Amino acid sequence: MAAPPAASPPKGTARRFHGCSKISEYDLLQKLGEGTFGEVYKARHNRSNRVFALKKILMHNEKDGFPITALREIKLLKMLSHENVLRLEEMAIERPKGEGRKRAILYMVTPYMDHDLSGLLDNPDVNFTVPQIKCYMLQLFKGLRYLHDNNILHRDMKAANLLINNRGRLQIADFGLARHYDEPVPQRGRGNGEARREYTTLVVTRWYRPPELLLQLRKYTPAIDMWGAGCVFGEMFKRKPILAGSSDINQAHIIFELVGSPNNVSMPGWDTLQGAEQIRGFPPSRGKLDREFSQLSPQGLNLIGELLKLDWRKRINAIDALDHPYFREQPQPMREEEIPTFADSHELDRRNARGQKQALPPAPAGGTVGMGPNGEWTGSGPPQNTGSWMNGDRPRGPPGMDRRGGGHDRRGPPPPYDHRNPPPPPPHRQPNWGGAGSSGLPPPPGEGRHPLPHPPRYGPGGERADRDRRDRGPARDSYVPSYEDVSRPRDRGDGRSRDPDERPRDGRRGSRDSGHSRDGLPDDRSDRGRGFRDRDRPDFARGGRDGRTRSRSPERRDRRDRDRDNVYRDRR
Amino acid sequence: MRPSPLANPLATVAQIRPSSSQIDNIPSDLEDSVRFAGARLTQAAGILLRLPQEVVAQAIVIFTRFWVGQEGGSLVQFGAEQVSQASLYLATKLSAYPKSAKSVINVYAYLDSFPSTFIDPEELHRKKDPKEYYVSEGTYQTRRDALFKVEQYVLKVLGFQLHVSLPYTLCITYLQALDVFRHPLGRELAKRANAHLNSALLSPQLLYLTHQPSQLATAAIYLAAKEVGVKMPDVDWWEVFDTDREELGFLVVGLLSVESFAMKEKEKWGEARVPMTVDAVEAELQKRSTSSGVE
Repeated sequence: MAAPPAASPPKGTARRFHGCSKISEYDLLQKLGEGTFGEVYKARHNRSNRVFALKKILMHNEKDGFPITALREIKLLKMLSHENVLRLEEMAIERPKGEGRKRAILYMVTPYMDHDLSGLLDNPDVNFTVPQIKCYMLQLFKGLRYLHDNNILHRDMKAANLLINNRGRLQIADFGLARHYDEPVPQRGRGNGEARREYTTLVVTRWYRPPELLLQLRKYTPAIDMWGAGCVFGEMFKRKPILAGSSDINQAHIIFELVGSPNNVSMPGWDTLQGAEQIRGFPPSRGKLDREFSQLSPQGLNLIGELLKLDWRKRINAIDALDHPYFREQPQPMREEEIPTFADSHELDRRNARGQKQALPPAPAGGTVGMGPNGEWTGSGPPQNTGSWMNGDRPRGPPGMDRRGGGHDRRGPPPPYDHRNPPPPPPHRQPNWGGAGSSGLPPPPGEGRHPLPHPPRYGPGGERADRDRRDRGPARDSYVPSYEDVSRPRDRGDGRSRDPDERPRDGRRGSRDSGHSRDGLPDDRSDRGRGFRDRDRPDFARGGRDGRTRSRSPERRDRRDRDRDNVYRDRR
Repeated sequence: MRPSPLANPLATVAQIRPSSSQIDNIPSDLEDSVRFAGARLTQAAGILLRLPQEVVAQAIVIFTRFWVGQEGGSLVQFGAEQVSQASLYLATKLSAYPKSAKSVINVYAYLDSFPSTFIDPEELHRKKDPKEYYVSEGTYQTRRDALFKVEQYVLKVLGFQLHVSLPYTLCITYLQALDVFRHPLGRELAKRANAHLNSALLSPQLLYLTHQPSQLATAAIYLAAKEVGVKMPDVDWWEVFDTDREELGFLVVGLLSVESFAMKEKEKWGEARVPMTVDAVEAELQKRSTSSGVE
């Protein structure tokens, strides 16, 4: 990625930042979406005249420096190259004008895609034919096969994260939750294998979350992405998410209603999972997949059944899905170039057109990820409260690529869904762009539009965040509902950080892992044996933002300050 | 354009010399010393943070990349300690073992409390009075702010190119391919080879920046086999691992020279500290110009 040289700094050392261009090389054309985190723009590169999508990385809450999820996503994308995976072209930097505290804003530059699948399905003018659906599913499976074969779990498979252009190409986007998978990759005919190590369960948007995650399986496999692909497959026929649970427990409930209750045949080992207790009380179900999807051919039904298989070990892998007879029977899949073109469908437009009432997406919990702040089920028995108080006020998510910004640095724990009664309705959620207190902020654009809940703030392992939140501070991240009035005892399991701001101020408690360095610096690495989660997440104690150090060489200071200061940081 | 997961982007000769620091009139021996001390510091901090060697090695490579070339960071502008911190912090973020800024800062404060750069490793485990390395809340905040700034600078200088391929697993794979583990000394050989790969991280020749992991692994095996006394196949087996004889020779010499370089550094600095901050570098330059003026 050759980047044009930046202007030479004063001193003889001409520095150029490869891989980063300046934002002035792009003409912003249109805002495509906005999410928790910021915005996605359509932009034209003024020399090549090509159109790109620019996704802004905001750093308003830099408790942990450069957002870890953005970092992971960038690194991952830089290594991937597949026609069904959205490609990161480069990074563009915007240096806000004027001196002072402004920091550079970074954009991830990706090819512009005309639609996201979620937006497309919402568009009443668009009708998918079976050959077209087959074409998209094949591309989805190719992308997944590539990712899984390269030891990558996407962990946020959903329609909004599948981008489609007018040439019929489908690409998987949004790798904010993706991570390396440390296990053998799926083999032909062997399902998705088993994992040996544990990963955080705070992943995948609820509506696309597989049953094993809902039951808290930590040793999950690429099968979680395949479940999401199954949901997407069904969604293409139903034109709406097929498993729109209003809460985690409700999600489990409707999954079992659709595909049948778990038992030792359909989901061996289900009752040993941590979340199993909560679902024992569910009425038995035999499943109704064939009735729900009566429009599918027998092979189509077989494929969706394979994808939505409760047993994650036997769920079909992407390699085998590509070979499924469904794709060889009549009608044959279309070729990409035969697919008709549609007017751009982006979630933002759709949302605007639709207004408030559309159901909302589940969110990735928290944005995307995750379950409620409590890892375990808290409801007893089947969900009593199925009203989606949490989601009701939100419209559907924006297109995949734009959805997550907040996601980047704020995968906070998802808001508590339902199962706690009576859930207080979330207060107004306002983005906290200014960083000032929660009052006095300008209303977020389209209040209530913010589609998805936050992803857990720190990516994997996000669930272990603060155990003890005494000092909540002003609600800076106002997308996160306040839990002030939820008075449940918090036990260890439910301590999740919603926002580092809520961390205790003394800083000591905040840094869990720093314990290591305090205990006499032993050199044994016994902690390796601990669960992955225990080590996996960073935790960042809070601290003030002042006290910046001075640059040493005055002649370079200006440039540096500009580079480093975040526009969003306006507190002193 | 996209790196192979097994390969690294390498620095060209033109990029290595002159470095940004040299352009800023930092003598190259001082630069070598600081880079060496910085890499060791990163390694030490990684150990104290109980990070897997993989993560530490990535941090050291990031640290080393930062200083390379005219576009790299200069010691006039950045202290090696801070860059080491930021590199380690970044490397952990990308790994499965993220560490908080607090942990990182505490560990560096602890390491900074030793009076000299080249301490006896035993010293590291001596119980110290916590007062010697206590970081107050205010100091912590200042340092954290600085850490975040340098972090962004590192990202920019590297163009977000944080992917670092390492030779360790390749080395094991090659040893298996060579059927070394059936030899009674196979394990010993593997240990030596790994040790060489660790030493190479500290090389003043920046071997990790100039050679691909496959070549490093091959050279480490070659050298370790000589040392341990395991006979390797009679053919040019290194060719199989994408290394030609010339590179092999260069790397073996490079690996061997790390030890003498380290000894010289230790002798050179003795009880003193290698300058790890911008101010210390400046002071060192002052000192040098004064003493040369006296002579």
